[in-house]
Amino acid sequence: MTQQEEEPVTGCEVQQQTENGADSAPKTLTVAFIGNPNCGKTTLFNAYTGANLKVANWPGVTVEKVEGFVMNHGVSIHLVDLPGTYSLTSYTMEEQVSRNFILSDEVDVIVDVVDASALERNLYLTLQLLELGKPVVMALNMMDIVEKRGMEIDLHRLPEMLGIPVIPVSALKRRGLSVLMHAVIHHKDHVHPDRLIHNHSDKSMHKHNHHSEFAMVYSDFLEDKIDQIKNHLRVRYPDLGNHRWVALKLLDQDADVMKRFPIHDEDTLVDRSYETEIINQKYDFIEEIIGEVVVNRVEKVAATDYADKILTNRWFSIPIFLLIMGVVFFLTFFIGDYLKTFFEQGIDMLSGLAKMGLESIDAGEMLTSLVVDGIIAGVGGILTFLPNICILFLSLAFLEDSGYMPRVAFIMDDIMGRLGLSGRAFIPMILGFGCSVPAVMASRALENKHDRYKTMLVTPFMSCSARLPIYILFSGMFFPQHSMITAYSLYVIGILVALIALFAMNIIDRSHQENALLIELPEYKRPSSHTIGIYVWEKVKDYLSRAGTIIFAASIVMWFILNFGPDGYSGDMANSFGAWLGQLLVPIFAPVGLGYWQITVSLLAGISAKEVVVSSFAVLYDGLNINSTAAVSALAVTMGQSGFTALNAYCMMLFSLLYIPCAATLATIHSESNSWRWTAFSACFQIGVAWIVTFAVFQIGRIILN
Amino acid sequence: MEHTLSTLDTGMVGRSYTIEALSLPLKIEKRLEALGMTKGTPVVVMNNKSAGTLIIKVRGTRLAIGKGISANIQVRS
Repeated sequence: MTQQEEEPVTGCEVQQQTENGADSAPKTLTVAFIGNPNCGKTTLFNAYTGANLKVANWPGVTVEKVEGFVMNHGVSIHLVDLPGTYSLTSYTMEEQVSRNFILSDEVDVIVDVVDASALERNLYLTLQLLELGKPVVMALNMMDIVEKRGMEIDLHRLPEMLGIPVIPVSALKRRGLSVLMHAVIHHKDHVHPDRLIHNHSDKSMHKHNHHSEFAMVYSDFLEDKIDQIKNHLRVRYPDLGNHRWVALKLLDQDADVMKRFPIHDEDTLVDRSYETEIINQKYDFIEEIIGEVVVNRVEKVAATDYADKILTNRWFSIPIFLLIMGVVFFLTFFIGDYLKTFFEQGIDMLSGLAKMGLESIDAGEMLTSLVVDGIIAGVGGILTFLPNICILFLSLAFLEDSGYMPRVAFIMDDIMGRLGLSGRAFIPMILGFGCSVPAVMASRALENKHDRYKTMLVTPFMSCSARLPIYILFSGMFFPQHSMITAYSLYVIGILVALIALFAMNIIDRSHQENALLIELPEYKRPSSHTIGIYVWEKVKDYLSRAGTIIFAASIVMWFILNFGPDGYSGDMANSFGAWLGQLLVPIFAPVGLGYWQITVSLLAGISAKEVVVSSFAVLYDGLNINSTAAVSALAVTMGQSGFTALNAYCMMLFSLLYIPCAATLATIHSESNSWRWTAFSACFQIGVAWIVTFAVFQIGRIILN
Repeated sequence: MEHTLSTLDTGMVGRSYTIEALSLPLKIEKRLEALGMTKGTPVVVMNNKSAGTLIIKVRGTRLAIGKGISANIQVRS
């Protein structure tokens, strides 16, 4: 690695070079991606690493730091994608974590990912990054949007004003990636800005000409103060690399920095917080940059404004939202079911082939039963729901990538506000329609811990994709004429139970805190097929791997406990371990209409994953062909004879909707709350709510129907 | 033109206001300031639901803010 040019010694701030620099053995370069929320950091990270991390068009998708390794220009590079942030203050935990990380010696180069279509806002973070005293390279993302709007950004002038390399990239179209990394590698030792050319009209009386040293120069008054504090810092902390940044943070009265770097005369030098002045002057400079750099600036982005007039309209927004969710549901059921028939034929064929094959090699009754009635019935039964799952996630991906999601936070803010939460808490709840695990994780975007816990508690009530097979099976079996409306009612009940639970918690918990909504609304955009493709593929892969692991294992376990009893292998399930286990639970479940050992044992197995309720059913009814309409309606008749009516079936679906979502969700709740007590409480709460609601429905239903 | 002081939650759609002062919990105030909502900054109200939940445009960014925030931002019209 050759050093590009010798830095002019400005005499002010010399960054302590901790390593012996460029000519030592090839070392891994650590590059941190930082930028505003929703600026495309993760897309860029994915483009480099080939990772398929989730990307969507709403702020706060990335909630934790992710790492990856790449080789570029012969250098091994360690990439770190940080959660989006607007500033580097220490008022929130996330910002502090990001800030401490990029300030640490671990990070060699900072890549500031900037959304070119929102340059004004993004530059605020850039100016803060420039003050850290670390090499910074700007990745100017979303230039295509800028061009589409007929605007231009002066790529010659922007680096002159900021003193850092500015590399236009398109994360989505994978353009400029190599150039950006090249700049990173060359810039790794540039702690001082490149040539700065500013045309400030005001004459400075300050004794230094900072305009040649720093991109961001404050008023003479502030610069004098910074100099004074820096003198103190130099005496007291001579090894500190970035005296200017620490001085600025002391002027901000940043709690974290004040604690770490106390100085003498602090009270006289920093008589009050100068943060507002510092922010204002930064924005003044940003205005200057925008004025020089952005050509053809359009004030009004007509398309988004127009769409918002309708979608966030005072009267129509909620009906439109319900309509959209209705369409998602309709597509999932109607089109999904149509495609499902093809899958069913495939599984049917496979099942027949396996049976024939196993019989032809004389595999024996037991093995044939295990494979055909256990594995193929269980796993295969679940696989047939893949089209429904696919369409559901396709729809959700579309909503997330279009930019509609944060609008939902706005639309629902009034209702959520009455329940003591901000509209933002509704985003994890909608994600819960897909899968409870990422939905629980998304609750991290809520600043208030109280709100987070409440949201985590009710998010599992949202009907996730794994419950879908249960609804499809049971509503098809017992409500053949009205299966879609039956299933839809469960989705609605899930939302209502979540809202009622929040309402109750709000009444009990009177420690009223500020739950004000504050969320950025990005421009609407046409969802990218690439982003949606990755999103859906990840979910499908997840579903398939669950089918291949948990559901596969659960099917085998179920087959064993149902086919073995105290007397060893027997075809008599009523005498099996499974039946015995199920019978134990029957007294608890009888009052809610589920007092059948077959049901209780499936529900118990369903804690591993909700699909297992269905796969267990397939194993239970001796390789019941879930895929054949005739077989399923025959089963409905059989079950009906034992007193299991449509009401019981509805209670079954209701209980499945409300009780513990799955082991993976519990694990996520534990890792997010870091508390076993809370996890146990959450599990008990869900079981309790499920029992009470189902009890009420069953008992009232019985009275009405009789 | 007459200058009147009011809070942002009563802002009318399509009108521009200038921020006079924020009186919010420190954390929220700092977050708003980081988004460029400092004294003297112009704000355009894009949408106002009756309850004071607003969509505003500040320094080129669209933000949705709840009543809890909008009612505590003093503005000049």
